[in-house]
Amino acid sequence: MLGFNILKLLSYLFLVLFLMQPDVAHATQAHSYPEGLYVHQLAHFFFILSMATFIYWLRERGLSRDKGWRLLQYCALCFILWNADAMLAHYLESQEGLFVTREQTTLDAVLIASGGHTAETLIYYFAKMDHLFCVPGIIFLYAALRCFLAKARGDRVK
Amino acid sequence: MILPLFPIWLIDFAGSSLMIIFSFLCVHLAMRLFNQDRENAVWIYFLWITSALAVFAISRGVGHVVKDLLIMSGRKDIWTILQPYSGAFNTMTFVLVASITLFFERVWQINQTILRDKQALQDSHGQILYLNRHLEDLVMERTRELRKSENKYRRIFESSRDMILVTDQDGQILEINPAGTDLLGFSKEKVENNACSFKHFFLRQEIWDRIVEELLAKGYVSDLETELIGPEGNVIHVLLSGSVECLLPDNGDTFDVVQTTDHHDVKEFFHFLVKDITRRRAMEQQLLQADKLASIGQLAAGVAHEINNPLNIILGYTQFLIKHESEGTDRYEDLRTIEKHVRACKNIVADLLSFSRSTRTRKQQIDLHECIKEVINVISQQFELDQVRISTEFDSRVPTMILDGGKIKQVFMNLFMNAKHAIGKDGLITVKTLYDQDAGQVEVRVEDTGCGIEPQNLSRIFDPFFTTKETGKGTGLGLSVSYGIIKEHGGEIKVESEPGKGSVFIVSLPVNQ
Ligand SMILES: Nc1ncnc2c1ncn2[C@@H]1O[C@H](COP(=O)(O)OP(=O)(O)O)[C@@H](O)[C@H]1O
Ligand SMILES: [Mg+2]
Repeated sequence: MLGFNILKLLSYLFLVLFLMQPDVAHATQAHSYPEGLYVHQLAHFFFILSMATFIYWLRERGLSRDKGWRLLQYCALCFILWNADAMLAHYLESQEGLFVTREQTTLDAVLIASGGHTAETLIYYFAKMDHLFCVPGIIFLYAALRCFLAKARGDRVK
Repeated sequence: MILPLFPIWLIDFAGSSLMIIFSFLCVHLAMRLFNQDRENAVWIYFLWITSALAVFAISRGVGHVVKDLLIMSGRKDIWTILQPYSGAFNTMTFVLVASITLFFERVWQINQTILRDKQALQDSHGQILYLNRHLEDLVMERTRELRKSENKYRRIFESSRDMILVTDQDGQILEINPAGTDLLGFSKEKVENNACSFKHFFLRQEIWDRIVEELLAKGYVSDLETELIGPEGNVIHVLLSGSVECLLPDNGDTFDVVQTTDHHDVKEFFHFLVKDITRRRAMEQQLLQADKLASIGQLAAGVAHEINNPLNIILGYTQFLIKHESEGTDRYEDLRTIEKHVRACKNIVADLLSFSRSTRTRKQQIDLHECIKEVINVISQQFELDQVRISTEFDSRVPTMILDGGKIKQVFMNLFMNAKHAIGKDGLITVKTLYDQDAGQVEVRVEDTGCGIEPQNLSRIFDPFFTTKETGKGTGLGLSVSYGIIKEHGGEIKVESEPGKGSVFIVSLPVNQ
């Protein structure tokens, strides 16, 4: 089982390395240490992987039929979305010349798209609101734990 | 296109705060779960993962807020310095969360195993407990059953009217029931001291040897008729059945006989069931007796009738001759002798005739006591000459009965004469009557203190012509005639006797006839 996991994990790794197009990343100058960004992105990917595996296990064990575990599954799904979103945001951030920010020090700060990059800028703008994924995720976790607790109490009473 | 950054900041700020709050709430819940069941690996796992998430939420949230604040306050340079640390720490925290998550499956499996083992342990524990308790009950129930069964068989053993006994191969009695000790006449202690051998109770030793031989060969003997010696040396007729039981001396398990005959460790025990058939034998004898009497009776009737007339003639002529002879001469004495013996012959013939019932019975209402008294009146004077006294113990409840008075008197006369003969001189004859209302019969016991009757003669005294008296004194017909008379009345006559001490003749007569 574990061997299978590692295989899966490695294949994902290669896929993401391919997708990330290192040469593109190299060209950017937003990060003076590109390996930092790489590690960060890989960590996000690792997170996605572990959550996916988690969901996979929950489904395989048939635990998702249980309310608590189902909630936990939703939580993992939210975290996957959030990580994907964060990876996208980091990626767009690392691209040079898509947009610039003005009046960064005030509340009136704005994001100005460079010519011809309106769509990317818009995507980046919404991707930046990554909390819309991770907050529901943790709420699901909270609900799942509550569910477990209630059930454990019920068992004890029995 | 210009997009305001404010909403992003707002969501960042609010989102980070919520993340922190909820992650701590999650830690709290996981803690509570953990406290509920500290051995549950999954709860421990949740505690880890929520803690890691909390660290992550703080690092990220604080990072975001600090970043936003620094940028807004125009200190972007500081953020530039902090950013790599914050980013690196963030990275580490979610790698941590992700790593922990990957362990979920293992933890789950371990927990399942633990739970399974625990369950299995509990199950087996429960089973053992149940079994333990059940076993106790079972053993108790079995014991109860065994005790019940043992009691049952003990009761059969103890209350059996037939003798049941267990002996070893040498005849040593190992166990015997009360009926057995009564029959053989010895105490239970003697058995317990292993001081009794069944072998010695056999009238003929070779019978025992034959029984053992047959038991060992066939495994059983059934319905063997033999004689044992009773407590007073009397012969007991018995019907004996026996079987073999093989016991292994070490564990006491019983085995089937046939299978174990070649097993040299086994010890054979014999079980016997012995039925006293003395009474039955006596009854059979009586029947035989009746038969014998009947045939002799027919014979005697004919003979007696034929002889009676010549005897009368002889007697008549003899008396005629005596009249013409003067007393004191030798011829006179000779004729007297002839007359005496002819009279004796006539007596015998008369006895025979009455025995063969050739005389008709005339039954009428009679007081039995009166009847007996009359007999006593006739003989008492003569008896007293020899110091033989007659005492009576009459039961006043005895009613009048329909009897042939003459014949009944003859019976008692016979019994008294026999008693007198047995006593010789100086003794006591006791006559007792007893009315048994339930059985509807009167019992008359004639007891004497005479010489008694030898056991071997007991069965023969009712035979016609059986006598132990010298010729001329006894005809041997008295008792057989009495027997016939009593039978005719539907009654019974029995005898009990102890040699040297005396005899008892018991006459029982039915009342309503
Ligand atoms: N009361 C008694 N005591 C001892 N022996 C008796 C008694 N009555 C009868 N007998 C025995 O029974 C035998 C048969 O008796 P019975 O038939 O009256 O014939 P008999 O008196 O002529 O001998 C007697 O010879 C005697 O041996
Ligand atoms: Mg007689």
